[in-house]
Amino acid sequence: QHVVQGTVTDASQQPVIGASVHVKGMHTGTQTDVGGAFSIQANKGDFLEISFIGFNTQTVAIGDSAKLKVILQPSSTSLNEVVATGYSSQRKKDITGSVSVVNITNLKSVPSGTTESLLQGQSSGVTVINSGNPGGGSQVNIRGISTIGNSSPLVIVDGVPGSLHDLNVNDIESMQVLKDAGSASIYGVRGSNGVIVVTTKKGKQGKTQVSYDGYYGVQVPLSKGFGLAGTKTYMDAIFAMQQNSGNTPSHPQFGTGTFSIPDYILPAGAKAGDAGTDPSTYNINTHQIMPANKSGTDWFHEIFRHAPIQSHNITASGGSEKNNFLVSLGYFDQQGTLINTYLKRYSVRVNSSFTTGHLRIGENVYLVYKDNPKITNQNEGNAISYAYREPPIIPVYDIMGNFAGTKAPGLGNSQNPVAVQKRTANNRGYDWQINGNIFAELDVWKHRITLRSSVGGNLDNYYFYGFTATPYEAAEGNTAANNFQETGGFSYGRTFTNTITYNQQFGHHDVKVLAGTEAIKNYGRGMFGGRNSYTLSTDPDYITLNTGLPSSATNGVYQLYSNTLYSQFARIDYNYNSKYLLSGTLRRDGSSFFAPGHQYGVFPSVTAGWRLSQEPFMAGLHWLNDLKLRGGYGELGSLSGVSTQPNNAYSLYAADPAKSYYDLAGTGFNPMQGTYNSQLGNLITTWESDAIANLGFDATLFNNRLDLSFEVYKKKISGLLFQQALLATAGGASAPYINGGNIENKGFDFNATYHGNVQDAKFDIGLNLSHYTSMVVSLPHEKYQDFYSAGSSRLGTFVRLQPGHALGSFFGYQVEGLFRDAEDVSKSPKQTAAAPGRFKYRDETKDGMITDADRTFFGNPNPKLTGGFNLSVSYHHFDFNMFLYGSYGNKVVNYVRYWTDFPQVFGGAVAADVISNSWRPDNLNAKIPVLETSANFSNTGAFNSFYLEDGSYLKMKSLTLGYTLPDELIKRLRIQRLRVYVLASNLFTITKYSGLDPELQNANLNDNTSFGIDFGDYPANQKNYNIGLNVTF
Amino acid sequence: STWGCNKSFLDQQPLGVLSATVLANKQGVESLLVGAYSMLDGYGGNSGGTRSPGSNWVMSMAAGDAYKGSSPSDGAADVQPIQLFNMTTSNTAVSAKWLFEFDAIQRCNDVLRTIPLATDISDEDIKRITGETRFLRGFYYFELKKIYNQVPYIDENTKDVNQPNDKDIWPNIEADFQYAVDNLPPTQALRGRANSWAAMAYLAKAYMFQHKFDAALPLLTKVINEGVTAGGQKYVLVPFQQNFSPQAAQKNSGESVWACQTSVNDGSNGSNGNRPDDLNFPYNGGPGACCGYFPPSQSLANSFKTDANGLPLFTSFDTGNDVSDPTTPYTGTLDPRIDLTMGRPNIPYLDWGYPQPSWIRDPTNGRFTPRKNVYSQSERATNVSNESYWGSPEITTNNINLMRFSDVILMAAEAEIEASAGNADRALAYVNQIRARAADASGWVYKNATYDAGTSQYTPQTTPADKYLIKPYPAGAFNDKSYARTAIHFERKIELAMEGHRFFDLQRWDLGTGSMANEINAFLQYDVKINTTLKGGFFTKGRNEYLPIPQQQIDLSAAATGVPLLVQNPGYVN
Repeated sequence: QHVVQGTVTDASQQPVIGASVHVKGMHTGTQTDVGGAFSIQANKGDFLEISFIGFNTQTVAIGDSAKLKVILQPSSTSLNEVVATGYSSQRKKDITGSVSVVNITNLKSVPSGTTESLLQGQSSGVTVINSGNPGGGSQVNIRGISTIGNSSPLVIVDGVPGSLHDLNVNDIESMQVLKDAGSASIYGVRGSNGVIVVTTKKGKQGKTQVSYDGYYGVQVPLSKGFGLAGTKTYMDAIFAMQQNSGNTPSHPQFGTGTFSIPDYILPAGAKAGDAGTDPSTYNINTHQIMPANKSGTDWFHEIFRHAPIQSHNITASGGSEKNNFLVSLGYFDQQGTLINTYLKRYSVRVNSSFTTGHLRIGENVYLVYKDNPKITNQNEGNAISYAYREPPIIPVYDIMGNFAGTKAPGLGNSQNPVAVQKRTANNRGYDWQINGNIFAELDVWKHRITLRSSVGGNLDNYYFYGFTATPYEAAEGNTAANNFQETGGFSYGRTFTNTITYNQQFGHHDVKVLAGTEAIKNYGRGMFGGRNSYTLSTDPDYITLNTGLPSSATNGVYQLYSNTLYSQFARIDYNYNSKYLLSGTLRRDGSSFFAPGHQYGVFPSVTAGWRLSQEPFMAGLHWLNDLKLRGGYGELGSLSGVSTQPNNAYSLYAADPAKSYYDLAGTGFNPMQGTYNSQLGNLITTWESDAIANLGFDATLFNNRLDLSFEVYKKKISGLLFQQALLATAGGASAPYINGGNIENKGFDFNATYHGNVQDAKFDIGLNLSHYTSMVVSLPHEKYQDFYSAGSSRLGTFVRLQPGHALGSFFGYQVEGLFRDAEDVSKSPKQTAAAPGRFKYRDETKDGMITDADRTFFGNPNPKLTGGFNLSVSYHHFDFNMFLYGSYGNKVVNYVRYWTDFPQVFGGAVAADVISNSWRPDNLNAKIPVLETSANFSNTGAFNSFYLEDGSYLKMKSLTLGYTLPDELIKRLRIQRLRVYVLASNLFTITKYSGLDPELQNANLNDNTSFGIDFGDYPANQKNYNIGLNVTF
Repeated sequence: STWGCNKSFLDQQPLGVLSATVLANKQGVESLLVGAYSMLDGYGGNSGGTRSPGSNWVMSMAAGDAYKGSSPSDGAADVQPIQLFNMTTSNTAVSAKWLFEFDAIQRCNDVLRTIPLATDISDEDIKRITGETRFLRGFYYFELKKIYNQVPYIDENTKDVNQPNDKDIWPNIEADFQYAVDNLPPTQALRGRANSWAAMAYLAKAYMFQHKFDAALPLLTKVINEGVTAGGQKYVLVPFQQNFSPQAAQKNSGESVWACQTSVNDGSNGSNGNRPDDLNFPYNGGPGACCGYFPPSQSLANSFKTDANGLPLFTSFDTGNDVSDPTTPYTGTLDPRIDLTMGRPNIPYLDWGYPQPSWIRDPTNGRFTPRKNVYSQSERATNVSNESYWGSPEITTNNINLMRFSDVILMAAEAEIEASAGNADRALAYVNQIRARAADASGWVYKNATYDAGTSQYTPQTTPADKYLIKPYPAGAFNDKSYARTAIHFERKIELAMEGHRFFDLQRWDLGTGSMANEINAFLQYDVKINTTLKGGFFTKGRNEYLPIPQQQIDLSAAATGVPLLVQNPGYVN
């Protein structure tokens, strides 16, 4: 025997620490040290087996060489991978619940400032809807929409409730999505929307490493915009509209009888040289002079510009056997393509852990600061919407370089979108956050029992202010005082968790038991103040709350809440010989939202798995590496709706200047304090409860090249928490949340990954598909409930919640077509304001007349299928990644057409095809109703299926090409690894949708009653080109 | 404790709100009462806003006082169908007032429910507070009764709020007003409170709606002869134009029998001004600068035409040239109240100069702008909101007149004609009292003059803005009962124009004759030539005298048993 020495590295030359090295057939064994080195006694001709979790075991013959160099190849099967789940961790092969492990490399393939947005297409069962609003939120739903309130999943970062929103994606080590009751019910009441468990990076034993990851890119606005008409077509549409209505066409700008484009729009319709157009007579308030834009202003591209995006991260980490540390610095700066929207974020993470004897103490701390002015997305009153409302004849600026606008008569009531955005330049939205925890773990009884205690939470301190200038150029509000608003406050969440874990193997029996308690308190407090009439100066340095008009002062509560949750939980995992798996969890949660007696809920689950591939009868199937059947049932809870109404149990009274004060003395200025019943209580309201059944299999096939996973589920939400629709006779107090309905979601999740190679080219293909149906099963207290969208109420309610229909189903009149002629009108059911060229509604009740009762469900915004497709190829020093995301079968409502297809709607901008595509006696197959002045039930006065479109799409989310420099080139620079890459995102979107982007966010992200409606969504499909660099020193 | 073993960990107290027990004392009850008063404007509660106005401008519009205004598409789904009488039963402008008034009624019931729980209120105060509350409740039910007719009745003792609308609630309304008459003091420390005289006037008005003229007449006579405002001022007709001043020195005058008090710059962000009327201002410049709603109709303008005797043209006002027609204007004489009721081209508009063409938002809005709710330029800094509400220039301290003394006088005139003990000469005297006040040239609009907001007068008073001519009815003219009736009805139309009364007057005069349908259809047919959006409008007799019961309420009333307890009004189908 002699001493054999060697080093073990991975493919990228990184030492593999702690790999097990032993001589085949002997009991001799050792482990690699921090440098990946080992030495072992062996004979020439022996075989060494080197193994490590995550890598293929390698066998090396001992020859003459005294120094072995072993390069481990990553294991293509991840069955032994240990993943963090609820309060503990499990090997993948032992998992019986529904847990998706997110591929962090793929996750980072899309440049974005918000981490939840990156989940799109990366995990089956998870649907994500994003917008282009920098730092804006995303709609994240796990297995369909399971509540009409906020359906965002619970996010646990290093064991503490947190958020993905401001988390630096570069800090993430692993991310798991817990989708079913078996995996999530350990989180009890907070688990019903699914749970995302994030573990952040830790320092690794070995040499100190410093790495830099960064990219810089440019975002390109959509080239097509809203497809609007220029000035000539706009004028012609108004002419046609008046002519079709039997009027002599007349317009303050275009003339009477015949129309022509004027030289000026203010003075209205003026020609060059006319009185009032002399610049010397100009006065911004009393005599503004605005030229006409004769070809037409492209408002969309006036507000959307090319914009840079950049991200830089430096991470330093290291550790010894006992201690480790990691420090990471992040800087992210995304300028929105919409002017004056941006997200600037600075973050620091410090994770460390120290071991002494059987005690480990550690902390994870994340500090983040951001400045993030955004727009209120999906609202007909924001700059994006003004871009489809402001007529093209209006120029951006008047003759003196001040803003031009609808103060020019006859041009509607929109605002100049450039002015709206430019005026926000000095607005700020600051936010400071601290997230993290401190923990201690003590191993006792020969590591069989681990006690863990963690104190963690988050602290958020926010501050924002904004100035609203008087829109002197607009038709409305041009005499309103300017206004300054300032808001500040803080909130915190505090979590104290204590667990005890017992782990023991008896022969083939493996038992793991966990029990714990948790206490959570959330508290928030914030205020706002405002003043008006800054007449002396509008310099941002001058504008403070003191310098406005004292009598205009307003102030109030911005945020005020306090709630608590106290829980006990237990979990038991048992497996026999890694073949038969059984797991059970139980959680008891108590919440301050409910009245005593109804505060506590108990949420159990049980799951089981059977690894068929371990059975002797399957042994002959060489192509089958692993097959596991698993299933489970469990219950979860949700607080979602009621959490917006604290103290739901009680009837409350309030004093509110706006709602209950009254000037009894008749002074005109000093109302007396009044009170009113602000909320009606419900003492018996309790948890919304979800029962989830899950059945699936995981399989690994063909020499570990193909991983398959398929599962079907049924999720029954009962006692849905929503606000009771009370009769008016109950009064105006806010109705209590009640357990008022049942919803059922059914669906399947499918995942496949294939690892292969063609000669030197290695590739991975991943596909995930998600399908769900969502159905309202019952509403015990009412027949239906109608909902407006936060985006606009002009067309009334869009959506009806009614048993037998999917959540969010569009409800209104079904358009059968346009009335062809007078004969068609007279032969059709009696309809208010029926006339040739107007909408002909379907007589659902077949009673010969169109009434309220003829409204029907005509579209479902829930997708039938969503999916992500990843392809990664590496060839020598090159790597390539492509990521596609698609959604199929989701219907959308294009509300933008309410504004652009009807010139009578506030006289705003119109669609480019509004004349060619509208009804005339000689154009009977037109899509757009006759252009006319009147607005009524049969054109713009009712919500109907005219606005419905197919919202299916397929997006090329990202395409990356990377090159890792050869070692010999970079060694001299003392660099371990250097990779450069180029990345393009959103290269194409394939869709039939006529708007900007069929990926449509809810107008209110915390409200799932209506969705899939386009009010001018900040598009999420803008092209983006980046170059990036990864360096490790 | 952090371990949560302690029960108090889940016991989180409500923040920033009160429990009912905190209010169970005098101060609390008084505050609940203020909360009940605060609903008079139609804003601040459930669904409150422009569609549930205390001013009833929506119904004023439906009666032909005005158009909907704004852009044709604005409100096309809700208020426009009310003007055209083709509203669906789920129309949200139909339901707004229903939702709002029941909200107000429950605030009143809350006061009544809390009084017995308080131990520190004197008997005298209990009487006063109960009186004010029941007056308010009667008033709010009155609003519902005249708009929807068949409404459910909920009082402080009603346990189940799902009640049928199968009973006539006039007796309940009368009972509330009668209690207020019997228990309220004649004067109050604060002039915005209801007093016994306002209650008596409303009791009389409730009788008028039921054609109980014999019961109404003595009450009205007593109010006229002895009544005082809550501030202790004898009821009197003040200069007409002062009724529409936002200034504290002019509002709450001797003519203000009952009004909604308004306030601005009070920390409420414009919520306590005449908020539901904030769209009813000229567009694009001038006062308010938004939104061109509620522009007076051509028919209303023509109604101010007078003949050579200074008397109105009862049936022929819409023949001949239109008032302010841009090419062939009417050149005859006018009742001077026209220019205190509406803004017209080339007529001084308070101190804003002449109304500008750009103030007319859309050609379908006609030629006129509202005036009674509008303030003068000199009052912009003092009586208008400067708060950070988008419509702050349209929020003023202009009280919402709910019952002016002239309304009482004209009701008395009507009762004198209709009641068994009535007297035509007294009726004539009442009407002439109103006309004499209108004929007071000191309040007219003058050209080449300066407007003084302190007196609401122009100086010098040398050039009247138009050819004003108004005369009293000659002695004995009312001996013809039918003529008297027509004259009184017409006097109400022009005296109270744009103040939310017309629809309900037409309703109570109809008596199944179809006169209401005829009046309104005549308006729709005449004004469609100016306002093309009126096309298709038609008032159906026997149906449109009332709005439909909101469909959602009918459906909710069925939730318990499957059978709706609320029954739809005649002629309306879901």
